Amino acid sequence: MKFRSALVYGKLINLAINVIDKSRGSNKAGEMAMAKCPDMMKHFKGIDPSKVLFITGTNGKSSTNNLINHILTKQGYKVVSNLAGANLLTGICTALLKASDMSGNIDADFFVFETDERYLHKIRENLPCDNLLVTNIQKDQVQRNGDPDYIYRKISKVAEEFGMRLFLNADEPRANSLGRKASRVVRFGTAKHSRSFTKDDSYVTMPCPVCRHKIEFSYYNNDNVGGFRCVHCGFSNEDGADYITENADFENRTFTVRDVQFKMPYDQPYMLYNYSAAVAVVKEIAGIEPEEAAKAFADFSNISGRYETIHYKGKNIKYMRFKQENPETLQNFINVIASDPDEKVIVVGYGTVNDIIPSYINSFYGFDCDFSKMIRSNVKKFLCVTDTVCYDAANSFMYGGVDPSMIEILPTSDVSEILEAIAKQDTDNVYLTMELAKFEKMQAVAGKEG
Amino acid sequence: MIKIAWMYPDTLYLHGERGNALALQHFSEVLGGEAVLDKVDFETKDFDPMDYDILFFAPGEVSSFEVVGEDMDRYMDRLKEFIESGRAVIATGTTLGLFGGEVSRTDGTKTHGIGFIPATAVEREYVYGDDEQINADYHGRTMEVVGNQIQMINISFEENAEFRRFGSVVYGMGNNGRDGIEGVVYKNSVFTNMLGPVLVNNPWLTSEIIRAAAEASGKNVKAKDPDFELERKSLECKKLFIAEKKPGSMGL
Repeated sequence: MKFRSALVYGKLINLAINVIDKSRGSNKAGEMAMAKCPDMMKHFKGIDPSKVLFITGTNGKSSTNNLINHILTKQGYKVVSNLAGANLLTGICTALLKASDMSGNIDADFFVFETDERYLHKIRENLPCDNLLVTNIQKDQVQRNGDPDYIYRKISKVAEEFGMRLFLNADEPRANSLGRKASRVVRFGTAKHSRSFTKDDSYVTMPCPVCRHKIEFSYYNNDNVGGFRCVHCGFSNEDGADYITENADFENRTFTVRDVQFKMPYDQPYMLYNYSAAVAVVKEIAGIEPEEAAKAFADFSNISGRYETIHYKGKNIKYMRFKQENPETLQNFINVIASDPDEKVIVVGYGTVNDIIPSYINSFYGFDCDFSKMIRSNVKKFLCVTDTVCYDAANSFMYGGVDPSMIEILPTSDVSEILEAIAKQDTDNVYLTMELAKFEKMQAVAGKEG
Repeated sequence: MIKIAWMYPDTLYLHGERGNALALQHFSEVLGGEAVLDKVDFETKDFDPMDYDILFFAPGEVSSFEVVGEDMDRYMDRLKEFIESGRAVIATGTTLGLFGGEVSRTDGTKTHGIGFIPATAVEREYVYGDDEQINADYHGRTMEVVGNQIQMINISFEENAEFRRFGSVVYGMGNNGRDGIEGVVYKNSVFTNMLGPVLVNNPWLTSEIIRAAAEASGKNVKAKDPDFELERKSLECKKLFIAEKKPGSMGL
């Protein structure tokens, strides 16, 4: 009875949100319904746990979720998911609520949910699920995640307690090591490719998740993801994976999995892991062969907001979003710039981190990243902006090997001033990174004035 | 030549602390003309702390304390000699707990540091991350230091004549959010919760550490600080940002 009234209430809230403010539609209905019936997720009917997948990890959750959804729906399956990225209990509850009838029955073939790492246990307690995909476990959002081991222990507890089938990134040591305690494991990976990289010995790697000694990487496909081996206990990914993206051709935008050629919808190297993960999942859960999955790659369009280009007074400003508390995304940004041989200006908008209270300053992760290839890639200037962190950004670039004379500091967060400074540059090719909200303001101003 | 050992860099590897190792090297070169930065870990044979002037321990995960602590046993006597001689151990972030005693973990188990500092630690259920501003007393100088805390453990430490506070908290959590104490100093060694590029962004502290360590080793370095204009500007921006935070926003 309690469930029924919460369900009706949630559906009414959802209806109202659709009329008033759709942007609040991914969490609110679930949040308000769960206030009436906290365990309401347990009462939905028609959910076969073997058809439920949780996607967790530091990076790649949303993109992988989107791609799996895309492949399954192209094959005619009905999928319930949280594509808007609301990955806490309330977001998943909202998705179920929207998909159910007035009795709580859900008629769907698959249930695919991106899940926040920290709340994974709570979500699994409320929603039976047999399949867990772990993209990677990296340094990220340290203000609430602390260190990777904090998240590793949370995911590991779920994997052990619920005996789920695990889909694991074979090339990321922590994710890979979760398989040591599981009976059903599918591993995915990416072969070394033309954009794989190495770092010199001045950089740190990471402790082995088994013995805490040093993990050595023979190459990286992403930061701390690649060919690895522990110098002490020998833990490695040398046994390979079940599904591997191979023969990546970034110029012609193709790759293969199990000898089947795929089109590469996005050519950022880190996407190759999302591709192999998706191919693995749809084959193992839905029986979709790689040949069939490949057809869906041709028209896959990912969520927006990661990469955008704006035009302002003759400048092509290429925006790339990186998470300031996440060295992997910063290294990706650097690598993308380094792969462009044309003359360019780089605008860096490190800011204060405002995800949770209290806001704080984090300029840590530039020191984990290798700037050397970017420095050699025909950069004319580094423009460090924002009013609080610009000096630290400039300093970290100097420690990274940038000639101080190439650095200009503009201590402002005013997007009009930043745009004017960009307009004065001698080159039209501009790379920009800053927090999304600030970029959206800049986009609006550029749209009006540029 | 100033010699710096960067201890267990791939195990005590968090929060971009490579920056602090580079800052120690850079300012050692600026003040002393020449510097060496060596990585030291489990695989390093015949490591002798007394071959160095500064040992830098960055933050690591609490799960690593046991294995690192066990490895430190092989040179513990020489490490104590090193510290007693006035050379400098710099331990940042959670690694303060590695130098203390018992660490109570969230799962009910206990692990142990090496027991050098009279301090105990309790692992936090929830992480606390924020800026931290202190007035530090080090090597006879009082200085403003601004950095960060990503607090995974709360430290209980009572000052005595030998083990003193590293600084008094102006803003932030310090050792535990209660007593206004940040970190521990013993002779010229510093054990602090502050992390991230604290030595990059506070070069006045870095320089003083280098001077203290050099003095203990009988090496000559410049007495005058170089130009810290960029870092001073950064400090003022951060102090302004911290001052504007709403009272009570720390949410401890």
